[in-house]
Amino acid sequence: MRDQWVEVNGHRYPTDGWEGARLIDFLRLRLGLTGTKEGCGEGECGACTVLVDRRPMCACLVLCGCVGGRSVLTVEGLPPHFVSTISQAFATTGGVQCGFCTPGMAVMAYWIHEGHQGTGHGDLPKLLEGNLCRCTGYWQLMKVMTTLARESRGCTACQSASPAWPVRGSTEERYV
Amino acid sequence: MSSRGRGACAEPRGGSQVTQEILAKVKGEADYARDRLERDLLRGECLLVGLLRSPHPHARIQCVDVSRALRVRGVKGVLTGDDFAGIRLGHVIADQPVLAVDRVRYMGEPVVAVAAETVGALRSGLGAVRVSYGPLPSALTPEEALTLEVPIHEERPDNIALSLNVERGDWEHAARRAEVWAEGEFTVQPAQHAYMEPYAVLAKHAGNTIILCAPMHSPHMILEEYRSLLRDWEEGLEIEVPTIGGSFGAKYEHPVHVICAEFARRLRRDVGMVMSRREDFAQATPRVNLSLWVRIGASRDGQLITKESRILANNGAYSLHAPSVVRAATIRMDNLYKFEAVRAQAKLVYTNTVPTQCFRGFGSPQSAFAQEQILDELARKLGIGPGELRKRNAVGPGEVSVHGWKIGSCGLGECVDVVERAIARDRVEGGGEGGETSAPMGERWRTGYGVACGTHVISNRAVNPAGDFSVVRMIVTDDGRVRVSCGEVDVGGGTATTLRRIVAGILNIKESETEVILGVTAGTPFGLGSFASRTTFFAGNAALSAARRLRENVARVRQELGLDDGAPLDAVAAAAAEAGRLSDLEAEGVYIPPGVELPDDSWKGNVSPAYTFAAHGCRVRVDTWTGLVLVERYWAAHDAGRIINPVGAEGQVYGGVLQGLGYALSEGAIFSERGVENPGFLDYRVPTAADAVPVEAFFVSTEEEAGPLGAKTIAELPIIPVAACVANAIYDATGWRVRRLPMEPETVLRAGRPEVLDDHSRRSCGPTAAVVLRE
Repeated sequence: MRDQWVEVNGHRYPTDGWEGARLIDFLRLRLGLTGTKEGCGEGECGACTVLVDRRPMCACLVLCGCVGGRSVLTVEGLPPHFVSTISQAFATTGGVQCGFCTPGMAVMAYWIHEGHQGTGHGDLPKLLEGNLCRCTGYWQLMKVMTTLARESRGCTACQSASPAWPVRGSTEERYV
Repeated sequence: MSSRGRGACAEPRGGSQVTQEILAKVKGEADYARDRLERDLLRGECLLVGLLRSPHPHARIQCVDVSRALRVRGVKGVLTGDDFAGIRLGHVIADQPVLAVDRVRYMGEPVVAVAAETVGALRSGLGAVRVSYGPLPSALTPEEALTLEVPIHEERPDNIALSLNVERGDWEHAARRAEVWAEGEFTVQPAQHAYMEPYAVLAKHAGNTIILCAPMHSPHMILEEYRSLLRDWEEGLEIEVPTIGGSFGAKYEHPVHVICAEFARRLRRDVGMVMSRREDFAQATPRVNLSLWVRIGASRDGQLITKESRILANNGAYSLHAPSVVRAATIRMDNLYKFEAVRAQAKLVYTNTVPTQCFRGFGSPQSAFAQEQILDELARKLGIGPGELRKRNAVGPGEVSVHGWKIGSCGLGECVDVVERAIARDRVEGGGEGGETSAPMGERWRTGYGVACGTHVISNRAVNPAGDFSVVRMIVTDDGRVRVSCGEVDVGGGTATTLRRIVAGILNIKESETEVILGVTAGTPFGLGSFASRTTFFAGNAALSAARRLRENVARVRQELGLDDGAPLDAVAAAAAEAGRLSDLEAEGVYIPPGVELPDDSWKGNVSPAYTFAAHGCRVRVDTWTGLVLVERYWAAHDAGRIINPVGAEGQVYGGVLQGLGYALSEGAIFSERGVENPGFLDYRVPTAADAVPVEAFFVSTEEEAGPLGAKTIAELPIIPVAACVANAIYDATGWRVRRLPMEPETVLRAGRPEVLDDHSRRSCGPTAAVVLRE
């Protein structure tokens, strides 16, 4: 029998009566943590990405009962210093526009920064393939993830990750 | 006229600060409509609305029985078409009922609305409704609808929502002078906006006012339309636009707004609706799909003379903004070049599909896909380079285009130069040899380069007959913060940041001391909203004049209160508060564009204060065995005036180009008798991070005198040339002219080597490659 509680962002919450509900509904409707967004409800868009035992999962696909006794990290639980680093990086590169995919992207960025446990080293576009964004064109997000990957703990391949694409023209060339 | 020197913003100013909007979005604290609704649900104060949708594309409603639904425990209210008799939505043609009345016209059209306390009660309530239908013959394409025996709308027996005839210049004389012609038929698909935030609405019952919280582009204009439709209400109505999770032109009026507001009024409770992605995609209003025949004539020395086009467009069951989109698709791209005479016919036809809607680019991506390919064919016939042909005929600063656009600053020629230099450098640095002549046909992977141009308006005088303007109001609070309020909204492009930057710059205060209020109709000045890339230009100019006026007021009050000139704003505010003169520290700026005309029915006239221009180039590799197209490099040059918010502007380029590549290569809603066949991201393929392409954004910074600080705008321009640019690159690589979107592998292969597909399909299922090897 799985434990009757789940640890969310460091606090344990009983899941009685919610075992058959989706994890995203437990987070949003039971705990009021509305940072995890539902973009598709089918595991395609990644806006509901959370870390379950430090591995990314779609909260819309996981039943609350299946994560009994495990620790869940949502965007609201990201460490403050990481949030300020990534906010500055997003502001500088323009990685945030409408912001609906941003919580999922922030959780994935934290997972990559922590050495993307549970997955072999695929290059960054592959690691982020599950997080759809309709506004930015991904380029700015890739720049942010690349710098985070270089400082990542535990993945040597990431530490030597070359920038996703070299921007040839300097600013002078591009602002004619 | 504005000289095109190096823009004052040749060097973008320092790194961007973390605005409160960005921080809230990163922390997951940004408030979307569903978040507000679910917080209400958490407190048990909200009812949930669900819609019973039509199972037929076209049918008569014989009877609707909701009696059993009302008896379901937990169901609090039911609404049908009769509750909204006589109400017709539609900004251009008011023909859409809130709930179907006596007839359903597309698969999934809402027929009955139920409000209940729980999801379970809602489902059983919807299940208890009995509706009997009398199916009618239906048509899913404009061609079928023109011969449909039962008209979709009685008042339009021929099913034509709009018929347009445009003629500029002396066609007969010009046609005789044209020596070289190129023509072609093109078909473009209904692409979904695919915004990340599915539709959600919350109607709050606040005493005798109903507050509608829903994402939308034009809160004030839509509020006015709803107030006039709901004249018999005693309650007031206001709109609050929460953070918008993407729209790209989709989120305007919607029957669900009126349904939730009516429930909230009747039941005196908060009422909200959330759509699943599947329901959102099934009822979504995609880009206008159309077929377009174009013919362009030129003289032998490469001077474009005449352009003729015929458009047959799909309106869907009801008219949203499709009539305006078709007008734009008919004329706007002609303004790029100095045509002597233009002739065009366009028909917008009602069908039994979901209504089509405006989508980023507003008709120009559709017409550019045709025109920019025909120009490439002409360039090859004339033996002139594609870039050279465009530069030779490009409009310039100070000219008046064939449809009456008074061109202010214009860097179109420079944009083409920038892109051609980038392509030349790429050819040399080992991008690839390019051109079908350089690699023998037998080689599987072919590389090619393509070029295409685009132009876009800044707002559109035709949208609001009463006038096109923007108003910004500023007040100083007693602690010296400046509160800026404006009727426009931030659709995600960074409007709040741009306004904050303008105000902080003029008043010489930190951006963090400026608070921007957008999208709340109560207490903000009337505004037309954020569309047609107008927000930076119009709200920016209004903010500029308001800030300058406020600066004068502050200086005057500072002097009258005897403070020394160096006193900062918060000191002046504190002193004014004590002296009871805080109300003097207010200012309002209004921007009404000079020289803009209300166009005639065919949209001839100077509709914008300035115009933006773009040239794109790309390199593709095409697999001639399977038709797969890989875009490897992309260069996008834009004349968007002086760039105020460089990070924001580049974000619009990267996002617009990738959305354009999805439109070009993989996206398309599939209509059938059962409705939308691919209502989900698994089958509706939007580009992912793995599909992203290295895009280099260039800005030709022309100084636009009419613009705020010399700026124009850039929200929609980057998506316009993309599909045409890729198609021209495919032709350059393989010699195959692809005339249908999306350019999926099978479509590309059918354009180039149809015999392979027919041969393959006739035989047993041998792999395509094997068939080729045997040749």
